[in-house]
Amino acid sequence: MTAVMTLSGDTPATRGLESDVALAAGGDQSAFERLYRAHVARIHSLTRRMLGTQEADEVTQDIFVRTWQKLGQFRGESAFSTWLHRLAVNVVIERRRSFAIQRERMSDDPSALDRVTVAPARADLTVDFEQAIEQLPPGAREIFVLHDVEGYKHREIAVMLDIATGTSKRQLHRARMLLRKYLSGE
Amino acid sequence: MHEEWTDQLSDYLDGELPADERGAVEAHLGSCALCVAVLNDLKRVVARAQSVDARLPQADVWAGIADRIEAGRPAAEPGLAMPFSWRGARRFAFTLPQLAAAAALLMAVSGGIAWEVAARSPEGLRHTTSAPETASEREVAQGFGRDVAQGFSPASGTDPIAADRVVPVGLADAQYDSAVADLEHALEAGRSRLDASTIAIVEHNLQIIDQAINQAREALVTDPANSYLSSHLVEARRRKLDLLRRATALATEAN
Repeated sequence: MTAVMTLSGDTPATRGLESDVALAAGGDQSAFERLYRAHVARIHSLTRRMLGTQEADEVTQDIFVRTWQKLGQFRGESAFSTWLHRLAVNVVIERRRSFAIQRERMSDDPSALDRVTVAPARADLTVDFEQAIEQLPPGAREIFVLHDVEGYKHREIAVMLDIATGTSKRQLHRARMLLRKYLSGE
Repeated sequence: MHEEWTDQLSDYLDGELPADERGAVEAHLGSCALCVAVLNDLKRVVARAQSVDARLPQADVWAGIADRIEAGRPAAEPGLAMPFSWRGARRFAFTLPQLAAAAALLMAVSGGIAWEVAARSPEGLRHTTSAPETASEREVAQGFGRDVAQGFSPASGTDPIAADRVVPVGLADAQYDSAVADLEHALEAGRSRLDASTIAIVEHNLQIIDQAINQAREALVTDPANSYLSSHLVEARRRKLDLLRRATALATEAN
């Protein structure tokens, strides 16, 4: 029984969060803050990796404000974390589109190979890897994050970004090859 | 470097190649140590990506979120979905009956309760411009009087004064239905202490709110992504709770 509960995610903690979702949908700001505390690390990490450190805070705010506004639409058909994450991805993509640079990002830029520096010999390699992701050319970066970090499929990414599946595959390979260069310095 | 082969290694690693191409790549890997090394590097990259941890922001951003929620301000980025009252140029797929119901709800609730307050006051209608005499009347006058000025909008749901008076309950069906049932029970118990005209007004307003709730629910079935409809539903349900609570308070005070 314990294993089943763990696999289904039906734990006291998740039940508490589900309750908070209902309370927040009714206007309970304290419950919404608890939801924020439970999810902010993942959401902020997503925005930081997709958009860079400078924009991450502002966009994270946008995501949670929008979540507050749209909570009434959450029907519980998926986990709240899944719903929130997809909403966050949509906000990030909208932000990028608002800059009207989506298309040019997808162009192949040979100089991009020089932007990702070889990893220095430092102890905090996780932080270094995060920095290496941020140094990727934006088009390759967002697809790498969505595919390899967040686990989306190419066909899902193609729909989200309004690009061809082949473009998604090429940009992913490009990102991996750039990061391969980075890891070779470890 | 054998780019014609290395360019296929990510697709190979992800299982994206058709069988014939996969077979060709595997045959090449059997004789090319360089491509095997690249493939192993790509595996390391993927493994590293899958192991990165989520990190908290260096500075907590909750204060900014709370401020924006409190202020009812829209997100700064253009293109984000905002409730109706915050955006001027957005198209909505409302039917005329839906709009009419929202307008009727606003007029009936605010006007009806204002009339009720006036009727209960010894000074009649002049009471609407003077200080309410009882706590419940102050609640009604303050809460619903504000609706006239602000309109029936999601923004009015963030009114801190009104929000303080609303029963702090989630609007998930089970909790909401339970809260409504409790209040209806309490109102029924105090029904004899209210005069007939007050009861009629409350019941009429509840009927209008229920109609708005039902219409919003039906519209959301066909347009589930419509943020205004969603906000409208939440707000209407909140209004129902608020109205029930105020009416129950009136009945209690009349005891």
